Amino acid sequence: MFNKRSLLFSLVLVIALVLSACGSNQSSGNSGNNGNDGQATDDWKPEKPIEVIAPAGAGGGWDTTARTVSKVMEQTNIIDKRLAVVNKPGGGGAVGWAYVDKKGGNHTLFVTSPPILFVPLNGQSDLGHNDFTPIAGVIADYAAFVVSADSPYNNMNDLIEALKEDPQSISVVGDSAPGSMDHMQFVKAVKAGGVDVKRLKYVSAQDGSGMSMLLGGKVDVYSTGLAEATEQARAGKVKVLAITAPEPLEGETVSEFKTLKEQGIDDQFVVWRGFMGPKDMDPEAVAYYENAIKEMMETDEWKEQRDNFGWNDNYMSSEEFKKFLDEEYKTMEELMNEVGLKK
Amino acid sequence: METLNNMLYGFQVVLTFQNILFVFIGVLAGTLIGMLPGLGPISAIAIMIPLSYGMDPASALILMAGVYYGAVFGGSTSSILLNAPGISGTVATSFDGYPLAKQGKAGKALAIAAICSFAGGTISVVALMLVAPIMADFAVSFGPTEYFALMLLGLTAIASLSEGSTTKALISATFGLIIATIGIDQQTGTQRFTFGNPNLLEGIDFLIIALGLFALAEVCSLILTRKKKMFEGDQSVGSLKITRSEAKEISGPIARHSVLGFILGVLPGAGATIASFMSYLSEKKISKDPSSFGKGNIKGLAAPETSNNAATSGAFVPLLTLGIPGSGTTAVLLGALLVVGVQPGPLMLTDHPDVFWGVIASMYLGNVFLLILNLPLIPFIAKILYIPKALLISLVIVFCMIGVYGVSFSTFDLYLLLGFGVLGYLMRMFSFPAAPLILAFILGGMMEQSFRQALTISNGNYGVFSESPVTVSLLVISLFSLTFPILKGKLSKKGNLNNNNDLSA
Repeated sequence: MFNKRSLLFSLVLVIALVLSACGSNQSSGNSGNNGNDGQATDDWKPEKPIEVIAPAGAGGGWDTTARTVSKVMEQTNIIDKRLAVVNKPGGGGAVGWAYVDKKGGNHTLFVTSPPILFVPLNGQSDLGHNDFTPIAGVIADYAAFVVSADSPYNNMNDLIEALKEDPQSISVVGDSAPGSMDHMQFVKAVKAGGVDVKRLKYVSAQDGSGMSMLLGGKVDVYSTGLAEATEQARAGKVKVLAITAPEPLEGETVSEFKTLKEQGIDDQFVVWRGFMGPKDMDPEAVAYYENAIKEMMETDEWKEQRDNFGWNDNYMSSEEFKKFLDEEYKTMEELMNEVGLKK
Repeated sequence: METLNNMLYGFQVVLTFQNILFVFIGVLAGTLIGMLPGLGPISAIAIMIPLSYGMDPASALILMAGVYYGAVFGGSTSSILLNAPGISGTVATSFDGYPLAKQGKAGKALAIAAICSFAGGTISVVALMLVAPIMADFAVSFGPTEYFALMLLGLTAIASLSEGSTTKALISATFGLIIATIGIDQQTGTQRFTFGNPNLLEGIDFLIIALGLFALAEVCSLILTRKKKMFEGDQSVGSLKITRSEAKEISGPIARHSVLGFILGVLPGAGATIASFMSYLSEKKISKDPSSFGKGNIKGLAAPETSNNAATSGAFVPLLTLGIPGSGTTAVLLGALLVVGVQPGPLMLTDHPDVFWGVIASMYLGNVFLLILNLPLIPFIAKILYIPKALLISLVIVFCMIGVYGVSFSTFDLYLLLGFGVLGYLMRMFSFPAAPLILAFILGGMMEQSFRQALTISNGNYGVFSESPVTVSLLVISLFSLTFPILKGKLSKKGNLNNNNDLSA
């Protein structure tokens, strides 16, 4: 018989299960105490599970990177503690960054990419890349500028000429806000081609409808990532006018895409992804994670996952990463000043 | 003939022991996740992605698709029993499902929901199989102007959602529109009504508002009336049996809304939530007895339940034929395909026919599993209503909290949830309907963005709204929808004067 008591019991069980599921995601969150809890020796090792923050919801680029790296690390035992991925969505990353900053210590990392430069420049976060410790750069992706197959533009220079004539005649769509990545990568490229970037027409489609707007003929150009463009180009639905890689890429389909430089436009844009930690992270801990990431990137498990996602290795040591970020920040700051988006 | 061959091939892929097991695990997990208020399929699938590494691509997608439509199937349970929508696609289910449960017809409501979900799911899979390649063009034909007109059409129905005062319904809707503007403005990147709080930068999540206004508000009034019995008809679950006349009554909505749901599901950006609302509203509009909606009309339950499941299959059209994700959940599914080494895109049908046809075939099987799984369980699930009221109230609160926290891991969202619970209770006390608020919130945000996208593209020229025939027809229908009740009111007054109600003919 199904009586009241057994029903109650099963309900309590369900709650307990749910709670423990949430709990395990958060397990390191409870035990975290601020400050430097690592030993100040050269061979620092994590003493408890590591919290890997993806400052966005489940399923996006940051989340995928965090989950993939955490899985390969655990599989290959490079780090023998658990790496728990925790999603902290909100504010284009700002909520997650504020969390990491508050938490501090040696057992919290987060995945990051160009928005750590754009979002503070847009005035949407008080914290920027200087408030964290760069640990290592991991992968690189490139931007692609795409038009539909029946577009009159066949290469980047056609488009730039048309933009020079009348910037208002061409609508560009991207999946992020004005002043964020999809917008600024395009601004940067056409500026290098001599276009007056103050009058560009940018449409933001943050529900991810950019590609369908392009295929439906509602907009002229789609500024996006290489991965999103490749399959559509292979099917002959779109033309890739240019990619922002410094050198031509190898591989089926992507090798046919012309870089900006090949078309005489002196620009490149790397969509990098890497890991950072809190500002107060011990140098020994930084060195530990830096080495762990380097080691991980040499494993076969990593290489297979990386190829499935179409990522390119782009290892940078903590020091190189920091220098790279400072330079990128300066370039973007100038550019955003020019289009009047810096706040 | 070719479709038949393809389908046989699809079933060849699915009918292996391993894949049948995956379909079963997927729909079971989905149903359970869907039942818990707040927890939706997105996070469940995202967490499963690393686990699917190394799996056969078809099996992986079969499993995850099962979680997706299983959650939409199961989400109706808590909407009906507790007024706490399991996922956003089942908010409209609670409008008539919960009143039915309160009248002691919980068993019947759950059975109708299960049958409509099954019918909507199955009919739309047939549509998916037959017309997927044709519908691909339709999916991209909707641009900013078309979306604007579609959302406007939905908004014109707001007045019809009110039970008493139309003015109160409009005030409630206006408040919903205001809430929709909170966060970073997508077109300029400016912060609006965030008061410098980073938690508000991305706006307020739909589920927080739905759970607050419906579940917590209900809990508030239950606490205040705790001496009274919670349900009429001495807490009985009631019979599961659907009479012949009831079956006849719901067959119309099932036929209509499996088509409407499928079409809205195909459009990237619309999806199950908007489909279920549109279905509920249109069913109410064409009903001969609209005043019984919201009070336990089985048509009002059948329409959104059919539609949200049909929309789920529809959402696979742009994903499988174009590689374009139409919703948050399909975007995560797209990520899952990458992990198993399939590049989603227009060539998937030629490169990976096993994935394409396998998933479609698995959805037939999954829907059958869901029906078999859910129908016999109804008497047990419905026994939730036998739990003492004090305990049930606490459980609902706990589940709502877990649901909201599980999505964002943010305590700020919990305060928001409580705030909306109090607001919902106050609105009830002063008889402001909550449904217009939630509808305006969900349609308003998209409507504003589409409107401004359209004007950016046209350099501010309003003529852009008259260029596409789809936009024009939708706008004309909106106009009719807005003016028809007024005209009808005037006409029926005349009819009453003539002492003869000739409108009913």
